[in-house]
Amino acid sequence: MPPTVVLDNGAATLKAGLVGAASPTLITNAVVRSKGDRQTYCGHEIARCRDYAALHFRLPFEKGLLVDWDAQKAVWDGVFSDEVLAVDTTQATLLVTEPYFNLPNIQDTYDQLVFEEYEFAAYFRCTPASMIPHGDLFALPGQPPAQCTLVVDAGFSFTHVVPLLDGQIVWTAVKRLDVGGKLLTNQLKELVSFRQWNMMDETHIMNDVKERCCFVSLDYNADLEACRVDLAHNPIVQEYILPDLSAQRGGRVRAPGEPPIDGAQILHMGSERFAVPELLFRPDDIGLDQAGLPATIAHAISCLPADIQGMFWANIGLIGGCAKFAGFRARLQAELQSLAPHGTAVRLTECAEPITAAYRAAHAFAADAPRLARVAVTRAEYAEGGSGAVRRRFDAPRGSEAERMLLQEAPAAAQPPPTGRAKGRQPAGREDERTPAPGGRGPRVRSAKAGAVGAAGTGSTGGGRKR
Amino acid sequence: MAPKRGREQLARQNVAVVQTLAPDVIAKRTRRHLDELERSNYAEPTLLAGVGDEDEEGGAKYAKGRGRQLISEKRNLNIAGNSPAARKKKSTMNVRTALLYRKNLATLIEESGIASLPSSVPTYLTASTIPSAYPPRMICTVCGYWGRYKCRRCAMSYCDMNCESVHAETRCERRVV
Repeated sequence: MPPTVVLDNGAATLKAGLVGAASPTLITNAVVRSKGDRQTYCGHEIARCRDYAALHFRLPFEKGLLVDWDAQKAVWDGVFSDEVLAVDTTQATLLVTEPYFNLPNIQDTYDQLVFEEYEFAAYFRCTPASMIPHGDLFALPGQPPAQCTLVVDAGFSFTHVVPLLDGQIVWTAVKRLDVGGKLLTNQLKELVSFRQWNMMDETHIMNDVKERCCFVSLDYNADLEACRVDLAHNPIVQEYILPDLSAQRGGRVRAPGEPPIDGAQILHMGSERFAVPELLFRPDDIGLDQAGLPATIAHAISCLPADIQGMFWANIGLIGGCAKFAGFRARLQAELQSLAPHGTAVRLTECAEPITAAYRAAHAFAADAPRLARVAVTRAEYAEGGSGAVRRRFDAPRGSEAERMLLQEAPAAAQPPPTGRAKGRQPAGREDERTPAPGGRGPRVRSAKAGAVGAAGTGSTGGGRKR
Repeated sequence: MAPKRGREQLARQNVAVVQTLAPDVIAKRTRRHLDELERSNYAEPTLLAGVGDEDEEGGAKYAKGRGRQLISEKRNLNIAGNSPAARKKKSTMNVRTALLYRKNLATLIEESGIASLPSSVPTYLTASTIPSAYPPRMICTVCGYWGRYKCRRCAMSYCDMNCESVHAETRCERRVV
């Protein structure tokens, strides 16, 4: 049984694991040079780093796209080596995630690295949100998987709002907010550097501060007034004790009753605690002329056919690191409720670990080996057809007739599901047989431009591909 | 008497307003700030505009000759199997080009040709969300409270006189050193 590697290739962290291990290994996706240690660490080796002040990061991702392949290969070498996964890549199948709206020339480089350098037996490349329907984010016990879902991927580079119809991404309605974890950390560094200590070089430490101290406020006005109250009675102000490398003590928040520690440098976190994550909801606070996340979600939904919009409002899922901020869900719910049309139910779904949600969904997808084998591209096919063949297999061209027909037929599909659901849960593995069921769908997937995930399995293209 | 005083007051206000920054200068400053927020590593702001955030010396070092060294070749990792990565043998031409000649993002976007696709096709460039429907909130740049007043010279906001004096001494762009 050849091993299958599931690799969620994120801009901040890689989530990697073999099928069979439900929880992934999280590896920082960067090559880090430590000036104190005078050493360079790739990916997983960062755990060995002793001096994490003034680290120099070399990130393979820039503005959400993979541009630095040298650094990425260095990290991937570490992941596939026997220090992390210990997998023989020539025998294995790879499931790797790519950014939304990945560029075609970058996609070609993915194929080249996978097939020509690591020589994987087969591979499948997809976006994180397209895996989510196979996971358990939206799963309700005793009910079939939801057909219309909206995934909010609040990641490191950007925050994307991705509507999914029947497991397929509706690309014309995908919207991107240019605020992500990276921008929030940098903004926090600037605020703290101006007001207190110069932390512009300390990305690693400020990331930790952001994750521990920052939260999303439900009422910005009230919280801003509250932190002007004097220190003793202030509910908001926290003190973060910076790490002390000589004493090997990590950074932490000072508990309320603690006696003061001398010799420690302290960061006073006042309005920065909620002003930084506020940028997700009001990017114009720093001059970025974009609507906030609630308005982006409303806009994305308005780009979909009118009669199924209500179903999207009721199935909004949150994944990604920025969804972990305390108060994120409550604030989003409150703002969305006021933006949704009157009488629409707005339901947000979140999971306990948003960072690994895409990995776990991809793992569930990959665990079904025949299903993965149907959509994956083998090395032989790549050798024959090159990247063009890979592209034809993986995703339908965006804005093509296939997608237009998908949106037009969606109203027809909207009537059967309410009765279909009452009949009980349909097994998730049979979705390729489910698509011909609503009548008019069959001819569409047999068109020349097929290649959509899952739906092409029974099409005419599937007949000649038996290996 | 009243109308004449009104004219004088109006004339004085006109003179005061002229000294602030033009909107396009403010827009350029905001743009530069947003670009800085996208950097991976902090670089001291230099006098040159357009300093990129890729470090030319980090990792892909220029040796004496023309060959650049890759950081991915310096690892002593043990990968199972016999792929080129594992055996450390020479990679194919495609892979070597991709690794050695790192293109920056602007070049990649240009080469992909997505700018020339018809506007009905959603791409990386068109996927941004709509502009904000509300005017921006003014936040004091010094302390974070509501910025009710704007610096006359450089149009950054502050909340009270203490923050104004801090701003004038440290961050005002037209300060007299």
